Amino acid sequence: MNDLPLSLFLVLALVLFCVGLYGALSKRNAVIVLISIELMLNAVNLNLVAFSKYGVIPSIKGQVFALFTITVAAAEAAVGLAILFALYRTRGTVNVDDMDDLKN
Amino acid sequence: MVDYAWLVPLFPLLSFVILLFFGQRWRSGAAYTGVILTFLSFVVAVTVLIDQIGGSTAAVTFDWLRIGDTVLSMGFAVQPLNALMLALVAFVSFLVQLYSKGYMAEDPRIGIFFAYLGLFTFSMLALVISPNLLQFYIFWELVGVCSFLLIGFYYYKEEAKAAAKKAFIVTRIGDVALFIGMILLFWQAGSFAFADIFEAVEAGNIAPGMVTLTAILIFVGAVGKSGQFPLHTWLPDAMEGPTPVSALIHAATMVAAGVYLVALMYPLYLASSAAMLTVAIVGGFTAIFAASIGLVQRDVKRVLAYSTVSQLGYMMLALGVGGYVAGVFHLMTHAFFKALLFLAAGSVIHAVNTQDIEKMGGLWKKLRFTGPLFLAGALAISGFPLLSGFFSKDEIFVATLGAGRWILFAIALIAAFFTAFYMFRLFFLIFQGEARHEEKDVYESPGSMLVPMIVLGVCAVLGGYVNTAWFGTFLADWFGSSTNSLGIDESGGSPGVTIIATVVVLGGIYLAWLIYGKRAISREWLSGRVPWVHKVLYRKYYVDEGYHHTIVWFTSGFSRFLGFFDRFFVNGLVELSAVLVRAVGGMVRRLQSGQVQTYGTVVLIGFVVVILIMAVTGGYFQ
Amino acid sequence: MSDPYFLSILIFSPLVGMIVLAFMPKDVKAPLRTVGFLATLLPLILALIAFVRFNADMGELQFVTSVPWIEIGDPEVTNSSLYIYYALGVDGLSLLLILLTTIITALAAAASVKIQKEIKGYYLLFLLLEVGMLGVFASQNLLLFFVFFEMTLVPTYFLIAKWGYREREKAANMFLIYNGLGSAVMLIAFIVLFTQTGTMNIEKLQAIDFSRLPSTVPLAHSAFRYGLLFALIVAFAVKLPIFPLHSWMLRVHAEAPVPTVMIHSGILLKIGAYGLIRFCMGFFPEAFADFAYGLAILGLINLLYGAFIAFRQSDFKLVLAYSSVSHMGIVLLGLAALNTAGIQGAVFQVISHGMISAMLFFMVGVFYERTHTTELRNISGLAKSMPRTSGLLLAAGLASLGLPGMSGFISEFMAFLGLFERLPVLAAIGTLGIIVTAVYVLRAVMKITFGKTKEEHQSVADLRLVELLPAAVMIGVIILIGVYPAVLADSLHLAIDSVLVGIGG
Repeated sequence: MNDLPLSLFLVLALVLFCVGLYGALSKRNAVIVLISIELMLNAVNLNLVAFSKYGVIPSIKGQVFALFTITVAAAEAAVGLAILFALYRTRGTVNVDDMDDLKN
Repeated sequence: MVDYAWLVPLFPLLSFVILLFFGQRWRSGAAYTGVILTFLSFVVAVTVLIDQIGGSTAAVTFDWLRIGDTVLSMGFAVQPLNALMLALVAFVSFLVQLYSKGYMAEDPRIGIFFAYLGLFTFSMLALVISPNLLQFYIFWELVGVCSFLLIGFYYYKEEAKAAAKKAFIVTRIGDVALFIGMILLFWQAGSFAFADIFEAVEAGNIAPGMVTLTAILIFVGAVGKSGQFPLHTWLPDAMEGPTPVSALIHAATMVAAGVYLVALMYPLYLASSAAMLTVAIVGGFTAIFAASIGLVQRDVKRVLAYSTVSQLGYMMLALGVGGYVAGVFHLMTHAFFKALLFLAAGSVIHAVNTQDIEKMGGLWKKLRFTGPLFLAGALAISGFPLLSGFFSKDEIFVATLGAGRWILFAIALIAAFFTAFYMFRLFFLIFQGEARHEEKDVYESPGSMLVPMIVLGVCAVLGGYVNTAWFGTFLADWFGSSTNSLGIDESGGSPGVTIIATVVVLGGIYLAWLIYGKRAISREWLSGRVPWVHKVLYRKYYVDEGYHHTIVWFTSGFSRFLGFFDRFFVNGLVELSAVLVRAVGGMVRRLQSGQVQTYGTVVLIGFVVVILIMAVTGGYFQ
Repeated sequence: MSDPYFLSILIFSPLVGMIVLAFMPKDVKAPLRTVGFLATLLPLILALIAFVRFNADMGELQFVTSVPWIEIGDPEVTNSSLYIYYALGVDGLSLLLILLTTIITALAAAASVKIQKEIKGYYLLFLLLEVGMLGVFASQNLLLFFVFFEMTLVPTYFLIAKWGYREREKAANMFLIYNGLGSAVMLIAFIVLFTQTGTMNIEKLQAIDFSRLPSTVPLAHSAFRYGLLFALIVAFAVKLPIFPLHSWMLRVHAEAPVPTVMIHSGILLKIGAYGLIRFCMGFFPEAFADFAYGLAILGLINLLYGAFIAFRQSDFKLVLAYSSVSHMGIVLLGLAALNTAGIQGAVFQVISHGMISAMLFFMVGVFYERTHTTELRNISGLAKSMPRTSGLLLAAGLASLGLPGMSGFISEFMAFLGLFERLPVLAAIGTLGIIVTAVYVLRAVMKITFGKTKEEHQSVADLRLVELLPAAVMIGVIILIGVYPAVLADSLHLAIDSVLVGIGG
């Protein structure tokens, strides 16, 4: 395990992030958008853990932060889904194109 | 006693303060308060005068305001000139207040009337004892505002309102000139005190051009206050005020303040012959100009007002030709007979309830006291021999001739002829002939109105004997004794001038008698020949109309233009910027689709662009 | 003098009233009014105590407080850190303005009895505004000044927008946008000063001679200083206001409720003048001297422009609004004179105009309540039914046109006295303004008080006691200053000297 280079982790995180970003920006279904956001968060987690192991000053801090992020991500997903449910009940759709309330 | 001269203005101030708070409730009590306090002030003023004739002077100052290292002071000073003025003002004030007690008895606002009179008397007396130009200016403005308040006393009359406003604004034009002159003098002499200014002038510390400039600016102030041409238009209109006010303020005291100012600043004028000449020409021109208007007016008070303007012109003329004593002397005698004439006119108006002389007539038998008193005043102002006006006018003629001003002398003579003529035109039209008024019951005025008139009548007759070529030149000696530096050189009498003047005056009276008394000459004889002259005179040379179509028109046009400018240009720019912002916002708002995903994409693109720029430039912006 | 809490107590003393008000029920009108008025007396009393305890012969700031407030930068990292202090202190100028603030606020609170709706919220905002104004004049730190300055904007905005006349929202928005922009410019200038000198303390900044700074600091270059001074002048020009930035002020005068206008024209405009003296003149004396000619011209424009336009206005409130523009021109003229007389005149004008315009607007409130109009053509002859009101209105009008014996004359006189020494020609043109002022004031005031009384105004009631007292206090102060100006001048001269030292005049 020790000889795996840092760059591999970073590339994986990059791929994950880009996939997530693409999903978040292009998908119509709000559930998929939420899942894509989770992907991006996990990409960040991966970076944090990788740097905590292979960074210039290795320490436990990165992993602690990753734990925080996971917690927050979970909460965020819960809140997001709850909002989606509420929206679905009132609007009958989870299509993000129909949600342009910011405009008016 | 001169050290207590500050008490003189204090009594009327007290009267003002008391009456302001309680005047409305007291009514006749208000009148008594005013009269008694002014009388006290008169008593003190007389003792000051006597003391000053004995030779004592006073000059007391205290610090008033510090501006950096400069300390401005206030205080009072007593010299011959202002001791005389002090007594004169207090005297006439007291008499007029006594008269007003009867004249205004019916007016519901008598309390406030006496309060204003108190304020006026205070300001005028304080003006007289001012030791420096700043204090003088302060009270100068205050008398102006009192005049304004009293002209507008009948606030519900549109004419009174317009006249009050006009008086304030026209005199303010003069005041501003005085203001500028005062400040320029301050920066030249380093002080407002008269003594310091004169010292600087005599030492030659002020450039001659500056002396002339300041002297003329100060004279413009005097022109405004004393109703000299071209700022005379307010004074005849000021007759809208109650008659006692016309007598006190617009005849005897305040309007004479301009003459007093020039007399006070005499060393400054002596240092500039151009300024002296200006004073003389403006005075002489005003004398004949106003007298000619007075020939044809129909309102008794207006005739008297133009007469005042004309007589003030005489005083200015006297000062301008170096006749210091003559000017001040005429100021004093004029105060007596003009106040008398106004009070008598007031008594007539009181009796017949009109000011139109065409609607009077035949009052000689009904007004047993007013008639003779008016006659005495008319004779005095005309310069009938041995009455006060005779002596003072004579001095002015002598001084004018002595200065070699032939044209001005001729003008003064013609003006004297006019004066005699219009005064007796008034007299004959009011008191002789058949009664043309509608009033059934014409009564003589009550005692409180007659007593002041009688006292003034005595003064108008005898007041001239303080300074005559025959019985001793007391006034000139007195002024000469303490103010030698003024270069007073009174040449005494000159029999030739006296005879010419007397002939002219008698001629004027005789002509008036022929036309209005005996009616040997038809009234239309002259005005019918040259109707346009009559018209021009009756319309006062169209000066008011001229001002209206130039200065007033321009001012109001200019301010209208600025108003439009402000509304459409300045405010327009503001609106324009608002419209621009809104337009830009309208364009940008199309990008706001409300779609979070679109926003996210834009953020992403922006981020990439930033990264790209940083990659190209190699880090931060350098 | 060494009481460090005194000024803080003074500034925040209106909070006492706010707390009491906050616990009162909403619908008890009379008690709310009483508390609201009484709450303004506390700062007034404290300000009077300060005035009495103030030592006029001491050149330094008095009642000084200085506590570190914000720390910028980590000493562990950068070795040094910048502090922003909570610094308060007064000199003669600040003290007089504080006194003016408390007096006018109390009078405006007395005039607020005419406010009918949402009294509780009204007084809360009103008192908050007072905290802001007091803080502005007592601050000795730029950031603190800015915070208090902004604190005056917010309550004023709501006071205008909620309790004003017909077009109140528009007026409030205009007020906020103009002043917001002005204060943004001001903040930028302050921050630049801070980053260049490392201090925000006003006294320290005044003591720094920027031209002696090492040439690596941009502030050492005169062009940079000109720019900064220009920014500050613009910031305060909006407030004063100087032509052509005056449009907002007209709307506020016309639309805001009377007590707010009293405060606005009596004090808030004066923050502009205060800023010009304290910051523009204090920080950049030489550059200011170079700008003086331009400022004198602007002052002249203000003076004449306002006066001429006031002459044609048909609404009395707009006459007064333009009259404020005109009178602020005199402040500028006085400052541009760059000598003691001129600056003293400007400061006197600030205080005197504060009292006079507060009084005039108070009288507007009095007759508006009865006649429901301020249009000149709809009112005339009020002297018949309201003799006292008319008398006081006339007196205030005369004070406004600079009648000697009242405060307006002293300030005009000194401003012109100063200006005639330096720029006699401009001063002579400026005196034209004195005449035009007389014309428009008399036109408007006499239109209201003189002439035939209108049918519908025959029987309106004259001043009540609660209205007479504030008016009497105002005219009393105006006359006091006019008759004995030393009452102000004595505590001022050291403050003015210290400003002038920099200019070297």
